[in-house]
Amino acid sequence: MAGNYRSVFDIIGPVMIGPSSSHTAGAVAIGQEGNKLFNGVPKKVTVHYYGSFAQTHRGHGTDYAIAAGILGFDTDDKRVPKAPEIAKQQGIDIRFVEEDGPSPINHPNTAILDMSDDNKYIQLSGCSIGGGAIEIRNIKMYGSNIKPEGPLPIVLYIDKQKRHENGIPVTSFLEKNAPFSVKKVYETASYFIYEYDIKNYIQDSLVKELTQKFKSIICL
Amino acid sequence: MYNHIKEIVTAAQTTKKTISELIIEQECKISGLPRNIIWNKMKYNLSTMQAAVERGQADQGVFSKTGLTGGEAVKIKNYRLHNRTLSGDIMMSAVQNAVATNEVNAAMGIICATPTAGSSGTLPGVLFMLKDRLNLSEEQMIRFLFTAGGIGMVIANKAEIAGATGGCQAEVGSASAMGAGAAVEIAGGTAQQSSTAVAIALSNLLGLVCDPIAGLVEVPCVKRNAIGAANALIAADMALAGCTSTIPADECIEAMKEVGHSMPESLRETGLGGLAGTPTGIAIKTKIFGKDA
Repeated sequence: MAGNYRSVFDIIGPVMIGPSSSHTAGAVAIGQEGNKLFNGVPKKVTVHYYGSFAQTHRGHGTDYAIAAGILGFDTDDKRVPKAPEIAKQQGIDIRFVEEDGPSPINHPNTAILDMSDDNKYIQLSGCSIGGGAIEIRNIKMYGSNIKPEGPLPIVLYIDKQKRHENGIPVTSFLEKNAPFSVKKVYETASYFIYEYDIKNYIQDSLVKELTQKFKSIICL
Repeated sequence: MYNHIKEIVTAAQTTKKTISELIIEQECKISGLPRNIIWNKMKYNLSTMQAAVERGQADQGVFSKTGLTGGEAVKIKNYRLHNRTLSGDIMMSAVQNAVATNEVNAAMGIICATPTAGSSGTLPGVLFMLKDRLNLSEEQMIRFLFTAGGIGMVIANKAEIAGATGGCQAEVGSASAMGAGAAVEIAGGTAQQSSTAVAIALSNLLGLVCDPIAGLVEVPCVKRNAIGAANALIAADMALAGCTSTIPADECIEAMKEVGHSMPESLRETGLGGLAGTPTGIAIKTKIFGKDA
């Protein structure tokens, strides 16, 4: 787990609505990554809790936190505690399941999000490692099982044309602007999915540039 | 990035810079952001902390939804006003600020996690007491937070800061060590003395379990921040007095990690063991969540 905290603001921060950085702020963060991965708010979400999350989610407000993240709220948004009602008003079906067994991604604070609408199904497995920081250890999308190292940021590039030359400019852009430690390519029936585990945090401006420059890029 | 406390101390000695300065430089380098943005971000976090401290002790105080915690920062405030405290007025002011922050957190108010929400009272407890005691400027308070954050980064990366993986020693223990090291710097101590304060503070809370009643960040979390703040000040004073730690800070961090990993799951934020598992703890859980919980 070494080297996960790469900013002093991971330690002095986040500014958040209580009561728990791992079970509330971290849960908001997992929900937010779900929102980004799904590219919006899914119609239906089933959240599977493991370990400490399964035991204590009610006391920590983990349910409203994940719902808030899925809606795209920030950790210090005053609407966080009201997120489940807001989701309900928007017609979003969010359910929570306490699982008995060990975490499939091997961490006591695990939430697995099954997200779907009429057209797609995506699964994200995240864990909250403390102080609001999270890891994404598994993603299932388009029939592919993506296994990042865990720490954010993670950049995914979905090549819907399945042409090898499409990935080259993405890789070289990232090499220049956001160095990565790992690059993996997953092949599915109709796509190539590129995974880049980025070394340092990236600025919002770079995320904007990336998404404008390349289609179907996801910055987690 | 600094991976060990010893590296920070050596860098401070060779460059003749303070720890806070080294951490600001590190943040600029890693994030690529200009210094003023980083500085202002910390300033915003400081103002969040100040607001929480004030809110927790204004009027009747704040209360959590369950009623398990709240109003005690105000009790301490009034006690200080009308009584001669045993441990000293200034020590009790640290305790008051720590409790106020965690009561706001338990009441789902806005706080700054330092390093976690459950341990968010420890650092403000120390900092706002020192503000009065040493007449700190805003700049000094911001520097305090950079020093504390730099120490916390080493602890978080080498060991952990989550109760679910390391127990309360990883949360309040880490916060206390961060506060101790930063207090030494702000009081004019050396980087080596900061490191000693980190070692003493961490050693003194080694083995502290995470046993929240009903899984709520209320009991015993709020009061544990009182001890986190007090312990930080004691460790800082001892280091400034020239006391040393037999075990160096980095080895204390390793020990904390090892102790955390040998803790049973029931004592790592599952709300099952320790105080949570007492008859009273179980009765409260049943009352709040029903029999099946």
